[in-house]
Amino acid sequence: MNALLIFMITTPVIGWLAHKRRYRKIRDLYAISGLSVTAYFLFELYVDVSAKGPLSSCYLPFEACLQIDMFGVFMAIVYVMIGLLAAVYSVRYMERDTGLAEYYTLLLGMIAGMMGVVFAGDFFTLFVFWELMSLTSYALVAFRKKRWAPIEAGFKYLIMSAAGGATILLAMSFLYGMTGTLNFANLGATLGSVVPNEWLYVTLTLVIVGFGVKAAIVPFHTWLPDAHPEAPAPISALLSGALVQTGAYALIRVLLVVFGSVQNAWQMTLMVFAILTMFIGNLMALLQDDIKRLLAFSTIAQMGYILFGFSIASPQGLTGSLFHIMNHAIIKGLLFLCAGAFVHQVGTRDLKKLEGIRRKMPLTSILLAIGAIAIAAIPPLNGFWSEWLIVLAGVEAGMLLFSALMIINVLLSVAYYLRLIYVIVLKEPTPISEKATEAPRSMLIPIVVLAALCIIIGLYPGPFIALAEAAAKAALSL
Amino acid sequence: MIPLSYYLACSIALYTIGMYCLAIKRNMIRLVLGIEILINAAHLNFIAFSAHLNQGYIDPLGSSIVIMSIVFAGCVTAVALTIVTYAYKHYGTLDVRKLRRLKG
Repeated sequence: MNALLIFMITTPVIGWLAHKRRYRKIRDLYAISGLSVTAYFLFELYVDVSAKGPLSSCYLPFEACLQIDMFGVFMAIVYVMIGLLAAVYSVRYMERDTGLAEYYTLLLGMIAGMMGVVFAGDFFTLFVFWELMSLTSYALVAFRKKRWAPIEAGFKYLIMSAAGGATILLAMSFLYGMTGTLNFANLGATLGSVVPNEWLYVTLTLVIVGFGVKAAIVPFHTWLPDAHPEAPAPISALLSGALVQTGAYALIRVLLVVFGSVQNAWQMTLMVFAILTMFIGNLMALLQDDIKRLLAFSTIAQMGYILFGFSIASPQGLTGSLFHIMNHAIIKGLLFLCAGAFVHQVGTRDLKKLEGIRRKMPLTSILLAIGAIAIAAIPPLNGFWSEWLIVLAGVEAGMLLFSALMIINVLLSVAYYLRLIYVIVLKEPTPISEKATEAPRSMLIPIVVLAALCIIIGLYPGPFIALAEAAAKAALSL
Repeated sequence: MIPLSYYLACSIALYTIGMYCLAIKRNMIRLVLGIEILINAAHLNFIAFSAHLNQGYIDPLGSSIVIMSIVFAGCVTAVALTIVTYAYKHYGTLDVRKLRRLKG
């Protein structure tokens, strides 16, 4: 993460130098190499953590510190993977935009913020990186400032998310007032033994609302279907695959560690919200004609599945959810990047105008179909395994009704993804899609990598499930 | 010394005012100010707790958090006002009701 921050700060300098020297590709390569270096350090960290257990710099109850366990490392792996592919994709996708040095700075800053959130050892460190992540993402959503839609989406996102951030801060202040510390381990030790009082419930509500805005839990989801389509495609992939999951991560980490004593209360609340989130997401996605909007509503539905797995709070449920976070990041990354390729080549997101585009962009369309099949939980691909694990964990925990509702939702999602495949692959081409040409190679590479990952994880889920299981155990043991 | 509950009541009132402002006001600048009020409610809470947590001295953790958080509040406002400026260029108004072209 240090490496990422250094690269983030130096990117504008390199961008400026590259501009002076009239060789602009340097800053793209520089950002990509920054992410690659981070990936290497992350691998070393993974080896370290899996051998020796959690690394921690927390000694005193009142200092800011990092605590790195498998849960955090697992999330960081997902972020860096998606971030790296999105950066490679951006090279061609963003070529027509200006201000690219700022773009890469913000991109690296967002990924650094997300990694900081998952490595934080106390609430305040989490909040600092949370704000870094949020601030950069506001700017990235509104990046194409010459058009009205990104500005409107960005403003809506900013207001909702900043209100969520303030709510988290208020919850933090109550926790601080109750215990005098913000360190996760100390908070857990102090609050685990107290008799639940009304202030604890107030704080719990504030935490769920505050993180729920980022995690797109249903009453607070309205920023997402605007912000995702209007952001540039690589940013949509990162928002959907990583940023929203960070909200879910922070929520579950705080709930498990700090509010262990009132687990029954939040478990039921979260479960009801999760089911609501799934239904709204899936039903709204059925009605969409805009490909990126459809994917955005589907993200809300997938968040419902993930929160449902989290709210079971058993090792199986957490394993399923974490595995689904990984799969969802891969699949949604794939789908958003494919949609971005259509937008880049044709200039429209309207499904009616994209009909039959397979004739002209065969590779992208087939890869989009693979992603759609994977996320609709059709067996040989990866989405099936994680959704199956979540449902199984729900049944094992005795939540038969909720598990049945989730299965209904999965079937709903099959309906609109089959429609997507039908429209893109099978229909007769329209005049607009006739004019399309295949996407450039450097945009296809990340898409192909993601599709290959879908198939590989689908056929050999074993090692990936084991990784998610280790992360789930670490989450429950802190 | 003023009891802690007065401060808490004040910060909760501030939080409510901020939320009311976000829900009711139509001017974009006022929405940004609403965010500021929300954040300041939390700041007041931190400061009040840091003074009352231990009798006799003020806990430095609360103050340091507030100082850091003020910086973030400033950053959020800066980004928000930038977006407001661009919104004004596109729409020619600061009325948030006019920003309804996306369906949300």
